[in-house]
Amino acid sequence: MSSENFDNLRLELRRGGLVVAVLAALYSEQYGYTLRKIMADHGIEIDEGTLYPLLRRLESQGLLKSKWREEQKRNKRFYQLTVAGKQILEQLLTEWRSMDSSINSILKEYGHATSRTVSASR
Amino acid sequence: MQLLERYLQAVKFWLPKEQKEDIIAELSEDIHSQIDEKEAELGRKLNEVELEAILKQRGRPILVANRYLPQEQLIGPVLFPIYRLVLKIVMLCYLVPWTVTWIALLIFNSGYAAKFAGHSWIEILGSLWAQLWGTAFLAAGTVTLVFAILERVQRKSHFLEEWNPRKLPPINNPNLISRFNSIVELAANLIFCVWWTAHMSSNVVWNQLNLRISLAPAWRYFFWGFLLLAFVNIGFAVVNLARPYWTAPRASIRLVSDIAGSVLFCWLLKAHLLVEIAGASISPMKAVQLTGTINFWMARMFSAAVILGVVIAIVNIFRIARVTAPRAHIPGKTAAMA
Repeated sequence: MSSENFDNLRLELRRGGLVVAVLAALYSEQYGYTLRKIMADHGIEIDEGTLYPLLRRLESQGLLKSKWREEQKRNKRFYQLTVAGKQILEQLLTEWRSMDSSINSILKEYGHATSRTVSASR
Repeated sequence: MQLLERYLQAVKFWLPKEQKEDIIAELSEDIHSQIDEKEAELGRKLNEVELEAILKQRGRPILVANRYLPQEQLIGPVLFPIYRLVLKIVMLCYLVPWTVTWIALLIFNSGYAAKFAGHSWIEILGSLWAQLWGTAFLAAGTVTLVFAILERVQRKSHFLEEWNPRKLPPINNPNLISRFNSIVELAANLIFCVWWTAHMSSNVVWNQLNLRISLAPAWRYFFWGFLLLAFVNIGFAVVNLARPYWTAPRASIRLVSDIAGSVLFCWLLKAHLLVEIAGASISPMKAVQLTGTINFWMARMFSAAVILGVVIAIVNIFRIARVTAPRAHIPGKTAAMA
């Protein structure tokens, strides 16, 4: 049950992070398969069933642009950030860092106190 | 590669029409890239089993296609709790009376019961079950349809977002007794006592307009019994007005008085109290027949009265259990009871 809870919470936590990671990786042009490899190489596993619908959604929001081009004798769809996408990414990164800093600050103030209390009670 | 073509065809079937080709082209390219990589790693072409493993890992076609579809809900999370509540209320207020009516018709209506003549109890219950399911589906379907329409209206107009905190219902305290109810109970019992003592104290309960209705001598027990219960109820209403919340002793006394009232009423139905109806416009034979019919139908109502009495007792027992159960402290509740 706790493992299931963790999986669900992890999924929720990752959802927003994935968008930031995908946008960050698309500063340079990539097609879907290489994008997945890049993400995996950096420790973020994302399955194709999540990645491609996400790319389409971001494209429909004007944050990505795509074009079909032949490479290695096969047509591939390449994605890249638009100007609007770059702006949004910067805003999201600011938000991300602010959130990270806030959580660290909370942990520093209360997390330590909690662990001290637990240790003392033992 | 025929397996891959079949897979793509199956995914394509579920995709939105305007995006079918585009999505399939990209998905096909992605799978081909994965196959190429695997073949480069193995140094040979993939066999059917290996290709099957790749497709299996990708997922069932309908699930793969579903991720490209817009997320649609018949009833969204905003309306769903209300939908569930309404569905429960409809099921309770529609199906339960429907079942009770059906059973009552079967027992009391000889014409309706004749339809099932010669059928076993299992067949009769099967018939009830079949009709009940039909009714339940119709009721649930109607509620679902109404909420599906509401969901669409809500999505466009956002009418649920407009609200006023001042219109929230007051804190619900099931142990609180409404003063209005106590006043109604007090007034009703006082009126009853006046009417009862003025008109029902004698065995001849009606002697006007050339019509005379007489009851058996046992009537005096019922007269005093119901009068005593009315006095108890008056006392109760007065106490409830002064201290409007249930306590364990008061809930227990209410249970005893309700059981006494139910027993008295059930006994009344079975007692064949009506002994004479006489009037200028009624022939003696007709009067005897009418007396017999009224006594007969009062006796027939006995089972229903017993059921009603049991229901009242159960409600009272639940009240006692609620009052005696330990409750979590809710701020403001103590103040409301004081």
